[in-house]
Amino acid sequence: MTEEHGINQLKRRDFLKAGLVFGAGAAGLAAGYAAVPDAFARAVYAAKQEGITNDKVLVMVQLAGGNDGLRTVVPLQDPKLHDYRPRLAGPSVAQALPLTADYGLNQNLKGVKKLFDAGRVAIVQGVGYPNPVFSHFESIRIWETGDPTRRSINGWLGQLAAKQYDTLGHPLTGCACGATDVPGALRDLQATMTVIQDPKNFGFTGGDPVEEAVTALYKDTPGIYGALFDTAIATAKDTIATLKTAGAKYQPMAAYSDQAKLVYSSKNQLASALQLAAELIVAGTGVKLLHVTLGGFDTHYTELNRHDDLMGYLDQAVSAFFQDLDAHGMANNVLLATWSEFGRRPKENASGGTDHGAASPLLLIGSPVQGGLYGSAPKLGDLDATGNLKYSVDFRSVYQEILTSHLGADAQQVLGATFDRVPFIKVPAGVS
Amino acid sequence: MTRRAVIGAAVAGGAGVAAFRLLGLAKPAGNPVSQSLNGATDWISPLATERAQVQQLLRRATFGAGPADLEKALSDGYAKTVQRLVETPAAKPPPFPGGDQAAKGSPLKLVQLQKWWVDQMLNGPTPFAERMTLFWHGHFTSDYRKVGLQSPYVYWQNLTWRDNAVGDLRSFLYQVTTDPGMLRYLDLGTSTGRSPNENYSRELMELFTMGAGTFGEDDVRAAAKALAGWREPQPAETVRTGVFDPRRAYTGGPVTFLGKTARFDTKGVLDQVLAQKATAPFVVRRVLVNFVMPNPSDATVNRLAAGFVKSKWSIRQLMHDVFSSDEFKSASSYRSLVKQPIEFMVSALRALGAESLGQLTQQHGSGMGQTLFDPPDVGGWPLNEAWISSNTVMARVNFVTALMQAVKDLPVSTDAHVQQLDGVLSPATAQLLSAASSDQERWTLVLASPEFQLK
Repeated sequence: MTEEHGINQLKRRDFLKAGLVFGAGAAGLAAGYAAVPDAFARAVYAAKQEGITNDKVLVMVQLAGGNDGLRTVVPLQDPKLHDYRPRLAGPSVAQALPLTADYGLNQNLKGVKKLFDAGRVAIVQGVGYPNPVFSHFESIRIWETGDPTRRSINGWLGQLAAKQYDTLGHPLTGCACGATDVPGALRDLQATMTVIQDPKNFGFTGGDPVEEAVTALYKDTPGIYGALFDTAIATAKDTIATLKTAGAKYQPMAAYSDQAKLVYSSKNQLASALQLAAELIVAGTGVKLLHVTLGGFDTHYTELNRHDDLMGYLDQAVSAFFQDLDAHGMANNVLLATWSEFGRRPKENASGGTDHGAASPLLLIGSPVQGGLYGSAPKLGDLDATGNLKYSVDFRSVYQEILTSHLGADAQQVLGATFDRVPFIKVPAGVS
Repeated sequence: MTRRAVIGAAVAGGAGVAAFRLLGLAKPAGNPVSQSLNGATDWISPLATERAQVQQLLRRATFGAGPADLEKALSDGYAKTVQRLVETPAAKPPPFPGGDQAAKGSPLKLVQLQKWWVDQMLNGPTPFAERMTLFWHGHFTSDYRKVGLQSPYVYWQNLTWRDNAVGDLRSFLYQVTTDPGMLRYLDLGTSTGRSPNENYSRELMELFTMGAGTFGEDDVRAAAKALAGWREPQPAETVRTGVFDPRRAYTGGPVTFLGKTARFDTKGVLDQVLAQKATAPFVVRRVLVNFVMPNPSDATVNRLAAGFVKSKWSIRQLMHDVFSSDEFKSASSYRSLVKQPIEFMVSALRALGAESLGQLTQQHGSGMGQTLFDPPDVGGWPLNEAWISSNTVMARVNFVTALMQAVKDLPVSTDAHVQQLDGVLSPATAQLLSAASSDQERWTLVLASPEFQLK
């Protein structure tokens, strides 16, 4: 594939579109994979060819607002937790679902606990980055770009898509589900990403004539937003076509519900978004990088019930997602990972909530993971100068493992450096 | 490359007349028209003409213009129109029925409240103040989800922001800090001196006045202590602001805040914030990226910031300076901003004289990413390119489809591309318009065009 421009680009795009639709349970198209033993070498191999062509899928779940790690993975034995949090600690410790003698999951993460017991959940504790930033937006940007120096503009998954996938040939490589804008993690001007707020209403209400007219109207739009506009319309068109096929191929095999207990400020319908993610995966659309968001985690006040409700909402949506994938026999290649811009302050405030903090745990869920606890939990007796938890695992180590061991990507090309490995992805049989 | 190798538009001239004849469109005298210009990738700015300046002003300083608004502004001229817009204080909107009485059991009706606000944008007699109210709603943000509807707070905040929209920033900041909705949204209303909540303190500096990286964590803590003591008003107190309760305040003596050690009260905290070098440039930059261009230079920001401080933080003066600046009329400003969804919808309705169809904005805003009283987060509304995605552009087109079905009498479309798009059209838009055979087709193309999404 040497032609990059003009009419040949169209051919390339059409070819890949036809070629990259994965059937249910397909093993992946890249011949020669198995012959390359090392996961990292495999990634480079794939990347040096026509982009990554395996059938691994990543679903990032953003817990927006700063998720309280100490109420997600609860330290069960540390008396300091009760000193710091006279109101918040007692109930969460008493009701936690024990994972080990020292740590338990939030009592509402019942489905996640089941998945943990089945060896399908890895928990990386104490994840953060040097010199923590307590601004939502700055810290979100750091996590989105994978760059604590805040110089990068492009998202880590956006860069991945731009450099290692063929998004032009395959515009549904990356998709934000249940959103209206491209989340920062997926953003890169060189990558085409789609956004689907609601698949049932995704389409031009004026039908094909409007779709045709608008496609012509937005072609080659001048100005600084020109490419964005015409790409948006072209992507919408491709997405409409894909959803048409996908909808016919997919029946949900789990009960998704956004009627969870009132979680105000959460903004996003997580269950619907994950159902859409499942649809795109099950229908074999070739989707690789999915992003969903659940807001409402900025629990500065009356955190006790609100955070528990959010955990319950998360649990219900994630459980349905995996139940659905399992029933369709499509869970083998799907990794779901949570992320949040920061954890929360160990010490509670006057409003019965907690202020912005630093390190917190991440949940990695799916058949590709080697279940268990990773990293080391931050010590409540050893806080930093701002009274926050110190990190033990750089978040980019987590990204690296996702990129290299799960997606088969070249992590260094995305992250610009190599980080300590956190081996939460299973090594394929026969590979050391 | 190929899809960016696009065609600009040329300003008026012999070629322009020919192009119009070619396109079969009526040629309005002296207006810029579309013309193919091989290799150009940007819009050709018509802002050298006063007409185009006035049109841009109305797109940005108001919610767009119908033919009558445009005619008046054109006959007044640019300078006089700026003067009229910025000097007119916000008109009091009609009271929102039941707004003041909202309580547990009789909540604010959100959908009606949104419609009430949209009606001010569509029909209010002071469109600039109305546009500024929306700007401040995105800057001093709160959302109905956290503030709740079982009190008048969301409604009151809208009235307060409108009252202060073109006033002075110092008084406005005090109103913002003690606004009951804000007390709830950023938790100052439950903060105490003994156990301060940092939420408001941080966002006051980071998002409202100074910007990230201009203060330290110690400053966040110090201001959180100094600001503690406010609570929401009780219904019997019949006030629309928070109430300061000294028993809840910080009693630990002086704190060091942004380099000064003192016993700060709330006014003292705000004065200290306004005394910071970062503050005026930060606020001015927010104004410029909303009203002028996405990447204003530091020199532009600093010049306008100096005037802002000198005017004792007069927002009216700042906006006057902004609209009178060379930057506003510069070629790089032209079509450099993307209309927010609500601006897009309201300006489309106004273009058609369909001001009575405000309810149409309600089912369509969400798909474009904007629901009034519900910004995505404490950072307020996003800007420009963040409004463009597959989902949002499609939703904008669908709004136009719905609008065309709802409008009874469409105005004549002959001049639509001139009145609404300055006559500066992409080749695609020009070609489709010339092939269109009815008012409905022309208006659909004009309102759904990329040109109309920009301002």
